[in-house]
Amino acid sequence: MRFGEHIREVRERRRAEDRTYSVRQVAQRIGIEPAYLSKIERDQQPPPSEDTIRRLAADLGEDPDVLLALAGKVSRDLQEIIRRRPRLFAELLRELKEMPDHAIVRVVRELRDGDW
Amino acid sequence: MIELQDDRLVITFPEVHPRARCTIDFQRTLRIPDDNREYPLPPGLGSFPLFHVDDYAERLPKPWQRHGGAFLPMHQAEALWLNFSGNYPMAIKIAAGKINAVTGDDWTNELSVDPQDYVVLPDQPWLDGFCIGEGQVRQFVAMPLGQGYTAEEQLTGAAEHGGLQIVAYPMLASAYEEFRSRHAAPRVMFSRAPDVDFCRAPGDDLSLEMDLGLAPGGLMRQKIYDDPHAFDVWDTSVRARCFMHLLNSSQFQAVTGHPPPTQPPSARTYSDAGLPWFELYGEDQKALQGASKLAGLDSVAARALKQGHGPIADNEAVERPRVQGIRRTASVRDGEF
Repeated sequence: MRFGEHIREVRERRRAEDRTYSVRQVAQRIGIEPAYLSKIERDQQPPPSEDTIRRLAADLGEDPDVLLALAGKVSRDLQEIIRRRPRLFAELLRELKEMPDHAIVRVVRELRDGDW
Repeated sequence: MIELQDDRLVITFPEVHPRARCTIDFQRTLRIPDDNREYPLPPGLGSFPLFHVDDYAERLPKPWQRHGGAFLPMHQAEALWLNFSGNYPMAIKIAAGKINAVTGDDWTNELSVDPQDYVVLPDQPWLDGFCIGEGQVRQFVAMPLGQGYTAEEQLTGAAEHGGLQIVAYPMLASAYEEFRSRHAAPRVMFSRAPDVDFCRAPGDDLSLEMDLGLAPGGLMRQKIYDDPHAFDVWDTSVRARCFMHLLNSSQFQAVTGHPPPTQPPSARTYSDAGLPWFELYGEDQKALQGASKLAGLDSVAARALKQGHGPIADNEAVERPRVQGIRRTASVRDGEF
């Protein structure tokens, strides 16, 4: 699915339950022009900047990393992580590529719950 | 599972539902005057930094290693509040020194419905203290263990646990799908908690106590909401637990190598600067009655007087706090159009 199409679908779904999710009000809340948001939703404009996507994600209750990926972007913090240890992370990502989700979830560092 | 991300606890239950996620961060705040007057909600001054206990295990007390979890640095007599985010309904139990902050009862892992011993997300946006009455809490204030101030010591006579304990239970996936079809996600229109980092500077706390516990401080208006769901919507087959230790700021640099956060301003200084306090508007939900066990505790100021320490520092009353309303769009419910 394209970025704009996804945004429109999510926003419309929210609007069905809450009228403040109109194009105008969402645009106001995230600090862009309504006409610009409208064009983004119709994929007449390329996806906006990372900061705008993050504000949009927060407003719509969506995961910012998922929206950034749909927009063909990788968040700055992830880029920085890879840049610091490019070989290691490139290898890690290639290794993880074929793994199922539940196995990848185990790689994430959990907070250890001990005895209390 | 619980992870630490950007100084927040990120709680997820991917085995229950892909959207079963919430976050908890611990907001720095000013200590409200402890003078038995009721105050509005104080501001959020940024999140406390959080650290894995395992990363500093050799420099932390042995019991902390056994507990696992995380820690955050606090100055003695500093206050905090818990900031909850997420749209997936969860039941969350919070205890201080293994004393339940809602009921005053001893810790158990399980949820109890009568009396309700948990808060419900996303309805409950914050928790600032011990629930002592309907719409009233006593602020969480960090005090060294062993001096008799903490709720744990006042109720059990022992200074054994300290810190904060948290366990979360998600809504059943089937109940969530039904909930989602009926409800819009509640949204806070203004935030109490600015998304800013705070300045870090060397602390001047000379206390040698490492382990802090939470004591009841000043009085504040805050509702702890009654669970609006049927009790059987909670998926009690899974849970995520965390022991959050409170490390005295005086020991923070020795443990982590980082300077501790600065002390927040006093309530009077903050108010004199014309900065706002907060009140949540549009609260139409029923609130819990509060726990008589917790209502009977001495506040920090009362305890200090009883122990012959005289009035506590930085406790001047704030006469007319400037209150900023925080509007919360109510969830849309069936039959209310």
